[in-house]
Amino acid sequence: MDKLTEVLQSKFGYTSFREGQKEIVEQILAGRDVVAVLPTGMGKSLLFQLPAYLLTGSVLIVSPLLSLMQDQVEQLKMIGEKRVVAVNSFLTFAQKENVFQNLGAYKFIFTSPEMLQNNRFNKILASIDIAYIVADEAHCISQWGFDFRPDYLRISKWLQSNPHSNVVALTATATKKVVEDIEKTLCMQKPFSYIHSVDRPVIAYEVKEVETQQEKKDWVIQRIISTSGPGILYTQSRKKSEMYAEELKKRGVKVSYYHAKMDQEDRILVQQQFQQGHLEWICATNAFGMGIHKDNIKQIIHDHIPTSIASYMQEVGRAGRNGEQSIASLIYCARDVEQAFFISIKDFPEEIDIKYYFQNDEKIIQLPETTTRTLKYWKEELSEKETIELFSSIKQAKWLEIQKLYDLFQNDQCVRKQLLHYFGEELITRPNNCCTVCSLNPTEILYSREPTVFKKDILNWNDRLNELLPL
Amino acid sequence: MYFHQILLFIIHKFNGERSQTASYYLLKGKKSGQTIQDVTYFQLHSFFSLFPKLSKESYDEAIKILRQNEYVQIENAYISLTEKGFQQVKNMEKPGFNGWLYRGNEQIFWKRVELIVQTLSQFKFQQKKFIPNQKDIEIQHFVKKYFQKRDFQSLQFYTSFKLQLFQLLESANLEKFQKELFVYRLSGYKKSGLTWDQLTNYYSKTELDLKFAFIECLHILIDAISKEQHPDLFDVLDGIEVEVPLTESAVKTNNLFSKGYSIEEVAEMRFLKKNTIEDHVIEIVSADPDFPVEPFISNEQIEKVLEIADKYKSKKLKLIREYVPDLSYFQIRLALTKGEEVNG
Repeated sequence: MDKLTEVLQSKFGYTSFREGQKEIVEQILAGRDVVAVLPTGMGKSLLFQLPAYLLTGSVLIVSPLLSLMQDQVEQLKMIGEKRVVAVNSFLTFAQKENVFQNLGAYKFIFTSPEMLQNNRFNKILASIDIAYIVADEAHCISQWGFDFRPDYLRISKWLQSNPHSNVVALTATATKKVVEDIEKTLCMQKPFSYIHSVDRPVIAYEVKEVETQQEKKDWVIQRIISTSGPGILYTQSRKKSEMYAEELKKRGVKVSYYHAKMDQEDRILVQQQFQQGHLEWICATNAFGMGIHKDNIKQIIHDHIPTSIASYMQEVGRAGRNGEQSIASLIYCARDVEQAFFISIKDFPEEIDIKYYFQNDEKIIQLPETTTRTLKYWKEELSEKETIELFSSIKQAKWLEIQKLYDLFQNDQCVRKQLLHYFGEELITRPNNCCTVCSLNPTEILYSREPTVFKKDILNWNDRLNELLPL
Repeated sequence: MYFHQILLFIIHKFNGERSQTASYYLLKGKKSGQTIQDVTYFQLHSFFSLFPKLSKESYDEAIKILRQNEYVQIENAYISLTEKGFQQVKNMEKPGFNGWLYRGNEQIFWKRVELIVQTLSQFKFQQKKFIPNQKDIEIQHFVKKYFQKRDFQSLQFYTSFKLQLFQLLESANLEKFQKELFVYRLSGYKKSGLTWDQLTNYYSKTELDLKFAFIECLHILIDAISKEQHPDLFDVLDGIEVEVPLTESAVKTNNLFSKGYSIEEVAEMRFLKKNTIEDHVIEIVSADPDFPVEPFISNEQIEKVLEIADKYKSKKLKLIREYVPDLSYFQIRLALTKGEEVNG
């Protein structure tokens, strides 16, 4: 057995590598810059975790999303790795100091782009041995990516001003343009790039246009009560997610809503109940998905037109991780196009906001926090005029993308082929159940759901305590 | 009705002498001189800082409903009970809150217990790797240390912890549904706790009602834990009780007082207004009955103020001052605060 497979077994408990993994790991070990685009669930984290065990020094992982960082830390701790830390704004001053003093002792150091601005942190980073640097969710670097984070661009400056080891960029979804942006921003030298097909043959695409919102709602409810889950229904608002959950509950479905406004504890409980199979369906906003480790999701339903192709691919990609045939259904009305556009630009500053921001004290302006952060970044980089032009061109690009998506769902071409095409891929083999346009027989994929008689469990604290802590 | 009952109770105690936002600040635990002093004046210690996350919308909505049902009325910006509201309060049992002492820290106790139970349950089923529900690093560290001090994988610890928890729940003065809330919010091996939404549906109560009932449940449990009967739970209480129930700023002022500085001098040194320092004095006196007030007011003056307050059944500063025009508002407040200690 070679060394790589040995570590794979001893540390991660797998007997063999998945497609692409070994190649990428070898390149990282050879000290090359790497861009890897792999769909979620294809073992992306392993790519940056495994080489760490074969190199001296710490791995620095820059991650733009705090919740994701936490999930990664937990996953590493799960496999028994204790030398892992997240350096972010959640740490108190004392905790930070504590971590800083022993920074070199950690094998995995997760951090946010903001923290890279911290001088003290940078000094300590410079004094320890870094094996390689990882940019996670690298598509956020590109303004063409669907969740662009300007803060992430700071990593570019950081790389330019700090002598560093090789850089590994990871993402689940990136078009060619985004990959180019990533390579440029991360100052990569002749990077090795591995781009996995975004195609998921086990996911069939069902698309349906209806006339009214009511028809849409009826269809969604009928589908969920008559066919088997587990499934996720993606909606566009907290209100809608709650409404659907309520309607479905009345009809005997074990369901819960999920959105960002819930208590953290409750969000965790809903995730667990879904993972453990106590819930059949989750009616969620796009806040749901990060850190969900459930491989038997059968159905994903969208009751709207998503705001980008990449985010849509990421959401439907949560189905069929166990390799079983699954289905992604999208039901929409013509009017949903405008709604999608409205949602995608709702946090964008207007021209007047930008002018105001550039000409006045930054603190006076009333804008969402993410918008303010975006503006703050651009104010340092561009002139007022350039910023206005930038936002107007991004807005236009968003509009075009949503139009494109709408057209993709509406025209008479294969949905799968078009989705792949967007990412610069050709469709080579077409699965039996492909899409509504080619061939699709939902009854082959979906089992009928046994209507459950809704029986109210009686809570008994004594029994429950004995179940949690049996003797 | 739980949340509404609490509001009626508080409004009753305020005796028609406060605006409708006073009870909101009280529940939120606003650390202003006014709110802290109200706690002592009106004997509202149990409710202070009961629900720091309470939103203004939920609060306003509740007040609106109480007004619609004619339980409360607002006159000249002051809120008071109607006769109908008073009838409600009369038959009410005194709630088991102890906000003054715990100030939201009961949630820390809860999170620790939650993580301990989750860990014990997972380990019982040989699952030594699991993802903790509690993400707070402080909580994780506390529980780790707690376990390190014990032979936590032993059957002996497992059994005694469970028995203590069981005994505590069984004997505590809780309603059945509160025990259910506590146990069904816990998670363990292949068993996740229920969300507030799920509990709301089960009990047909509002989420806020359940959350208040849960907080009351935690306060009652914490009060009931004894070192002798529940040694393992007693150690979970580390740091839960507020030791010096003073705001940080008042502590600084207090330190300067103990060095012999006057109100004016402290104000100057701390670049604060005299008013603010006076608020601190009230806060300190509320918390520490032995704090010497002689430098600010004489015993005779205190008695005089209390006599007037008693005679006219009011704690309105303006009214009292009409009878003792030579005293400042600060002195009257101080006298009333001292008076509460005697009565309460």
